[in-house]
Amino acid sequence: MVNIELIFAILLFSIGLYGISSKSDFLRIFFSLEMLLNAVILMLAVSAHHWQLTQNLALAYMVIVLATLEAAAGVLIFMIANKVSDKVSPDAFNEAHQGVKHE
Amino acid sequence: MSLLILVAVLMLALASITLKKTVPAMIAFASMMFLLGIYYFVLDEKLLGLLQIFVYTGGIVVLMLFGITVIGDTFPEAKARPWAIVSSIAVGAALMYLVTMMLPTMQTLTPHTSNQAQAFTEHYADFVLIFALIGVSLLYGTMKMVRFLRGKQHG
Repeated sequence: MVNIELIFAILLFSIGLYGISSKSDFLRIFFSLEMLLNAVILMLAVSAHHWQLTQNLALAYMVIVLATLEAAAGVLIFMIANKVSDKVSPDAFNEAHQGVKHE
Repeated sequence: MSLLILVAVLMLALASITLKKTVPAMIAFASMMFLLGIYYFVLDEKLLGLLQIFVYTGGIVVLMLFGITVIGDTFPEAKARPWAIVSSIAVGAALMYLVTMMLPTMQTLTPHTSNQAQAFTEHYADFVLIFALIGVSLLYGTMKMVRFLRGKQHG
């Protein structure tokens, strides 16, 4: 049973990794980042529950705090990048930035 | 029951990154986080489940809604990146191999304590300073960005 739960966590991690590497807009990259962190939290919770490793549960709370900080900073960067360049994807933002550099 | 929840979580995760419309993707994401919270309740980790639902389904989803107001109702077209699926499958396979290798070791680990607060102070108290530093640097970066943005707006 515990193996299956860990496999589900790894699958969630892979989906998040696919989202980060294939999608090119900020919002879906945030979704994928949250999925990566949630896969880690799921692994920690499953291991804490099945093997009574309480320290893993304490680490899971810290990962939740880190995820909250990351989401707040990420949305802020997205809003400011959008205000400055009117773009919604890192690729377009990068191209616009390169264009300004060449000029 | 718990396996059904996990299957639904995976399907909603896939939906949230493949749907073309922003609002259905957001709803799929929020439902996925809520179901994960329910799963933690099933595992009898009630505090973790509550935190998951409050922080993710409440806070982070509201933050993402700000993003939706900027993007609009449809996601922009993504560039084709064929290596993305290959790399994610490769990393997933490598992780599965690692977990399978480490399972016997994990099963022999014994808990030091059953008290969560004691486990935290014994193992992770040193990290609190690093977290405080991260928080302060984020606050500093936020203030710098707001000043930068104001400067841009005023010319």
